[in-house]
Amino acid sequence: MSTDATTPREPVLSLSSRTVVFGAVGAALYGVLGLFSFLIPGTQAVTVRPAFALVPFFGKRFGVVAGFFVGLVGNAIIDLISGYGLTYWNWSVANGLVGAVAALIFLYLPPIASEAVRLVVTALGALLATAIGLLFVVTDLWVQSIDLKTVFTLNYLPALLADGIAVVILTPALDAIWEPLSKRTGR
Amino acid sequence: MDVTPRYLGAGSFLSRRDPRVLLLVPVLYLVAVAGIDDLRAVLLCTAVALVYYRAAGIPWRGVRANWVFMLTITTILVVVNSILTSAETRVDGNAEVLFTAPITHTAITWTTLSYASTILVRYISLAMVGFPVAFNIAPSDLGVAFARLGLSQRLAYGVDLTFRFLPSTWASLHETVDAQRIRGYEHSRSRNPVKKLLALRPVVIPLTVNALMDAEDTVNAMDLRGFGGRHRTWMRELAFDRIDRLILAGFAAMAAVMVTAKILGLTGTVWVP
Repeated sequence: MSTDATTPREPVLSLSSRTVVFGAVGAALYGVLGLFSFLIPGTQAVTVRPAFALVPFFGKRFGVVAGFFVGLVGNAIIDLISGYGLTYWNWSVANGLVGAVAALIFLYLPPIASEAVRLVVTALGALLATAIGLLFVVTDLWVQSIDLKTVFTLNYLPALLADGIAVVILTPALDAIWEPLSKRTGR
Repeated sequence: MDVTPRYLGAGSFLSRRDPRVLLLVPVLYLVAVAGIDDLRAVLLCTAVALVYYRAAGIPWRGVRANWVFMLTITTILVVVNSILTSAETRVDGNAEVLFTAPITHTAITWTTLSYASTILVRYISLAMVGFPVAFNIAPSDLGVAFARLGLSQRLAYGVDLTFRFLPSTWASLHETVDAQRIRGYEHSRSRNPVKKLLALRPVVIPLTVNALMDAEDTVNAMDLRGFGGRHRTWMRELAFDRIDRLILAGFAAMAAVMVTAKILGLTGTVWVP
């Protein structure tokens, strides 16, 4: 990762046991914590899912594959437990893309020494990854047979607002705690 | 809420099938019903989905909460999107207005109601073919099924591992909440989403960090056992039998017929009785 110069950089799409295990841990955390959400007052169905912050965090810290895996499998588990089955499979892919895009953004950013700046960059990078990754829900045009205006006004923008709040607040907080731990243990 | 994977349909017709069948059927069904506006066509597909769901043998008491949750959320979405706000509807300018929705003043016609019913029935039928994925595949078979469908074996094992981590993660969540309560943690009662998120940090952060620290032991254990080598003890053989092939052929035929009907424009119009 860009912030840890002591760790040798792995190939972008490497699939080691570390990737598999951390991806699985992240997906399980997202699956469990993702069951808890709360409505934004004054909206019809915009719910903030705090666990979504885990997706860009895992993307940043553990790479493209782990980030994609956490979003994809974690969201699919939430849907399976809730009873949606695979109806909204494209939203699971969109969640996965958020993790993958976050990994790519932070992979190519230079190391940042100042902690305050790093936290701000983490929040902005996670928000950008969310905005890009969730664009995949435009596939609702075909999957749910709805028009483009509806996709953006009822699906994309409310999701971006809700998930954006979660990633801006919680992703930097998670990263701030994990940074010294990862340096101390050489992870 | 119980997040532990539940194998509720043990011994049923679908549970005796190759697990890949249960993963492929929802995909084929989704292809069949996507983009259909005609309620009669969706009802026809739903009849097939119902037979499939019955074959899963999932006890009602085991999934009652899931159905209630799914039906409540889906009905709200359909009523809001297709009836109250007309954000997701099909408009027929010549149709007779039955009544006007309160507050939003949307004109409700038979076309509006028929299309809303089509959407609702489609979601319910998708849940019918989706439930067996959650409750009729033995948790230990899920990773194998994905691997035998062509997914990377390491990623397939990751899926397997995720389901194994769910119960321990759920238990850790409770431990973390209890430990933080002793230190004075309380759920936020604020309606402000930012305050609510900030209040969740004492739970989300220690839970995540503890899970990551424990994960390092799992990585070491897997490396010591040669994970990723050629000999994979967890990858058992799977084989489609004649019934599996018949089920898949039936759903593939249904998908082909519905896609053809869609292309010919036979199911693209809202049916008005």
